Amino acid sequence: MKKRPQSKKRRAVPVPIASMGDIAFLLIIFFMVCSEVSKDKKMQVVLPLSEHVKKMQAVVVARIAVDENGEIFFDGTRVDNAKDVEWGVRALLTSTISDDQRHVQFKCDSSLPKETFEPVIKAIAAAGGIIEAVGEKQP
Amino acid sequence: MSRKRYSKEKKHRTGEIPTGSFSDIAFLLIIYFLVATTLVKVKSIAADLPSGEKASQSQSDKTPIVNLRGIEIFFNDKKVSVELLNERLEALELGEKEPAKRVIMLESTNGTPYDNYFQALAAISAHQGVVAIVEED
Repeated sequence: MKKRPQSKKRRAVPVPIASMGDIAFLLIIFFMVCSEVSKDKKMQVVLPLSEHVKKMQAVVVARIAVDENGEIFFDGTRVDNAKDVEWGVRALLTSTISDDQRHVQFKCDSSLPKETFEPVIKAIAAAGGIIEAVGEKQP
Repeated sequence: MSRKRYSKEKKHRTGEIPTGSFSDIAFLLIIYFLVATTLVKVKSIAADLPSGEKASQSQSDKTPIVNLRGIEIFFNDKKVSVELLNERLEALELGEKEPAKRVIMLESTNGTPYDNYFQALAAISAHQGVVAIVEED
């Protein structure tokens, strides 16, 4: 009869799992801090197409959207007119130091006429914002 | 007698909070966040529009002007397509000029769709032009 060599015996190595909960909760906190909740999901906006659009790198101070019905939204909240946008952006930009902090995201439905969207663009410009006009890449 | 019973109830019990399932709960929450999160990176064009009052005298006649009339685009009063507009703007070599000479006037008539406006805005910005919106009288 052949005997098994003793070195082949398996040892039970305990995996330390005591800190698993801590690691997991740290990950949750990380995700919660880094996440940004989308505020304009419900809006119906068909974005315009262009070959010049690039992935937005700038951090925006405000998000302005004009939906297909011409309703204006400031950070997801409906506002009455372009003047409200101007005051809102102006208020946000009072403490800005550099140009990097002046970017304002502008989303507008591609079918809207000039009378509807241009006052909003002018309002952002008048408040000192750099417009980041959102569009889709033309295939 | 009743006092004695009360003092007995006050005794602290030695009980431990079960923490064994904490990591399972935490990982479930992580999985939830990962599944429910949509990572959106929007694409855009940046346009720094200068704001100011209308000057009493009009700007130099040489300042290029883009007119948007409905779905039609005119560059210095000549009808162009989006591709031709890009070519004309590229020929101006705005990137090599000083900021004051990079100005491109943008005029539009009522009813011009945003789609067309965006095309013009994107073309000007892509060629390092500074957009100046022309106000109607």
